[in-house]
Amino acid sequence: MPSICFYFQVHQPFRIKNYSFFDIGHSHEYEDEAKNQQIMNKVADKCYIKTNNKMLDLIHRHKGNFRISYSISGTAIEQFEKYRPDVLQSFIDLANTGCVEFLAETYSHSLSFIFSKPEFERQVSKHAAMIKKYFNQVPKVFRNTELIFNNELAAHIDGMGYKGIICEGADRLLNGRTPNYLYNTVNGKKIKLLLKNHRLSDDIAFRFSDRGWKEFPLTVDKYKKWVYDVAGNGETINLFMDYETFGEHQWESTGIFDFLDHLPGAIMEHPDFDFKTPSEVVDSYPTRDTYDVHEFCSWADTERDLSAWLSNSMQSESFKRIYAIESDIKEINDPKLTNVWERLQTSDHFYYMCTKFWNDGDVHKYFSPFETPYDAYMFYMNVYSDLECIVKRKLKKVRAPKIAKAKTIRLQANDGKAIGEHPALTS
Amino acid sequence: MKSSLPKVLMLGWEFPPVINGGLGVACHDLSSAMSEIADITMVVPKTSPGFKMKNMNLVGINNIDVNTFDHHPVEGASLPYKIHNVRADINPYYSTNIEGYSVEGGGSSTASYGTTDRERLQAFNIDSLYGGDVIQKVMQYADITASLASKMDFDVIHAHDWMTMLAGIKIKEQTGKPLVMHIHSLEVDRSGPDNRGWVYQLEKKGMEIADLLLPVSQFTANIISQHYGIDSGKMKVVHNGSMPVNAFKSKRRFKEKTVLFVGRLTRQKGPEKFLEIAARVLQKDPDVRFVMAGVGDYFKSVLERSSYTGIGNRFHMTGFLDQEKLRYLFSVSDVYCMPSISEPFGLSAVEAAHFGVPCVISKQSGVSEVLNGALKFDFWDDNKAAGYILNLLHDKTLRNKVIEDASENLKDITWDISARKIVNAYAEKQFI
Repeated sequence: MPSICFYFQVHQPFRIKNYSFFDIGHSHEYEDEAKNQQIMNKVADKCYIKTNNKMLDLIHRHKGNFRISYSISGTAIEQFEKYRPDVLQSFIDLANTGCVEFLAETYSHSLSFIFSKPEFERQVSKHAAMIKKYFNQVPKVFRNTELIFNNELAAHIDGMGYKGIICEGADRLLNGRTPNYLYNTVNGKKIKLLLKNHRLSDDIAFRFSDRGWKEFPLTVDKYKKWVYDVAGNGETINLFMDYETFGEHQWESTGIFDFLDHLPGAIMEHPDFDFKTPSEVVDSYPTRDTYDVHEFCSWADTERDLSAWLSNSMQSESFKRIYAIESDIKEINDPKLTNVWERLQTSDHFYYMCTKFWNDGDVHKYFSPFETPYDAYMFYMNVYSDLECIVKRKLKKVRAPKIAKAKTIRLQANDGKAIGEHPALTS
Repeated sequence: MKSSLPKVLMLGWEFPPVINGGLGVACHDLSSAMSEIADITMVVPKTSPGFKMKNMNLVGINNIDVNTFDHHPVEGASLPYKIHNVRADINPYYSTNIEGYSVEGGGSSTASYGTTDRERLQAFNIDSLYGGDVIQKVMQYADITASLASKMDFDVIHAHDWMTMLAGIKIKEQTGKPLVMHIHSLEVDRSGPDNRGWVYQLEKKGMEIADLLLPVSQFTANIISQHYGIDSGKMKVVHNGSMPVNAFKSKRRFKEKTVLFVGRLTRQKGPEKFLEIAARVLQKDPDVRFVMAGVGDYFKSVLERSSYTGIGNRFHMTGFLDQEKLRYLFSVSDVYCMPSISEPFGLSAVEAAHFGVPCVISKQSGVSEVLNGALKFDFWDDNKAAGYILNLLHDKTLRNKVIEDASENLKDITWDISARKIVNAYAEKQFI
């Protein structure tokens, strides 16, 4: 009995402002508060509130048989807290239905797995704590930023105790096989892999309103048939997409909400099909083959690799710099400073620096708050430079007391009179 | 009194408030200094009606009353014209367009005088009327100026750079008055010695016809003989001066010492050299920041190279800056570096010296002939330049000595001295 497994990504970065060279050492406000608030309000009104209401309605209407999952980044949650607590409340309401699973990810939607394992683990556990706090769940299935994945990640996540992992079903790695089964990773690890069915996912996420697409317009009946076609050749149809698909990327006027409204009922007309969350899929089905991924793959751009974040020198330089101060940040151990550093790891900053153009460049440009990738890089490096100054200063302070605390030995003469003092350095 | 002074018809292109770079500033400062000892009429394509110069008759072609303008076509160039703003909306000092960056200027002595969209639009209207290309404008300017000159009384024609050369030649042919050409910058500097385009041809022809050439440095004089084949006998080097600067020092907002580059990011200014020098310095001393102020067609490539070289956290590109920000940069800098490949003069180094910033400059510059209080290197020798910068950053004695010597030199880098040299040269040649 094949299952439909929906996972929606909810993420908003803290965008940085046009922070000029002259701000270095002068202003420590890096973020574009106005823009972040404005975008949050726009997306909340067009997407989050509306879609959450729809999901809640669908869950009630189908008496708990419609089941979905979310991965919400820590930076998105922080922005809900700050600008739109009503959105946060509506996610909590969804969590209370018992039909919604929340997945684990890196707190700041970062690429930390590639650059620092300790930081990666810190962010994953910080994120899990936040999920526990708001949704009263302990995440069991992990998804990495932008579905970045390889064998090493699978082994690492397995070691951290997760039972499933979300990844892209890349054609070049599937080699003709279907993404509609659970796969296992290499080296006998227990963790199960859920592979995105990118055709059926992107039909909704990207092609829904594309008038140039030969299947336009996409109706529930048509889509239902494609889903039914899987019968006999699959156990889980993984529909993974950005949550902003609903109302933001695909505007309400495209009919996306009507589509969403009718889809679950239509699919469940067939008694063999149901909806499951990722954990339920993992618990229900065995793995059928091995998905062997040596080089990183992702769900981004047509390349489905790391090139959206790591294909030019500006991106590698800024990555190198931000992770170079990790040990200093951790030595200083100032929660506020760590938070600033963590937010600067958000993958979006590097995505804006991408100089790949053509089709994917348009997507990069659509999301970027900056005019050019060069601006994105310059402002980021200026921010970094200011942070570096602060780190240096604080590091000095943190290290200084150790010397000051050194014991002082008073030298005394026979008669008890002081003859002098000398500091005795302890190791 | 004034009538006994030599009468000079000056032909300028950039002039406040319409300026793009150093040429406009130099023309303004020089002509105001000369106005004390000569009777100057300056004709430029555009001035603003309210802009007056003491002791000087400033004619903006855009401000001529159409009705009173008695037009005498020269050499059959008869146009049924109305006088419109002939705006120098080309930028003769940028070699190519700058993608993604809209630019008014960029350079140490660059001031930005804003133009409204409406004015810009008008300029484009004019383009469609007269043709948008530069040569058309240069010819237009020559034609109108020659007509004006036919009604003027003057002893000497004094033209600045290639845009006004055609006008100079016409007026000389028409009046038989001696033609002086002041050379601030050459196509060979801007586009490299292999460029032999029409600007080069115009420069060559103009300099051949001229009776006296005034290159702004010996460096430029040498280029004129080597690349244009002009006899050095008719040249007289007149170095630029500089206006007194209200210099000040500001406190840096970060700990690292700062090395500054100011200029257009074009081949001529050696922006890539600055990057290479920065990389060498940072190998020895990571606590230095390099700041590159200006825009130009090398912007993106230099930015990308700075990240590729792995010095992104120490190499800062500011883009275009206004005067106030530039002055602030001078006031916080520890070393000024000018690695120009071919720099006729280089006023920005003088400005740095005014701010008490020691200069490391390429020998391929005019300013290196007058600023002895500076450390000089061949533009290709970035190792040497890096060494100089490190020495200036770490050796206080050397640093103070260079600053002290430069401030001595500044006493002799004045426009009054340049102005007197020019009038003396007129006299030597018996133009006056």
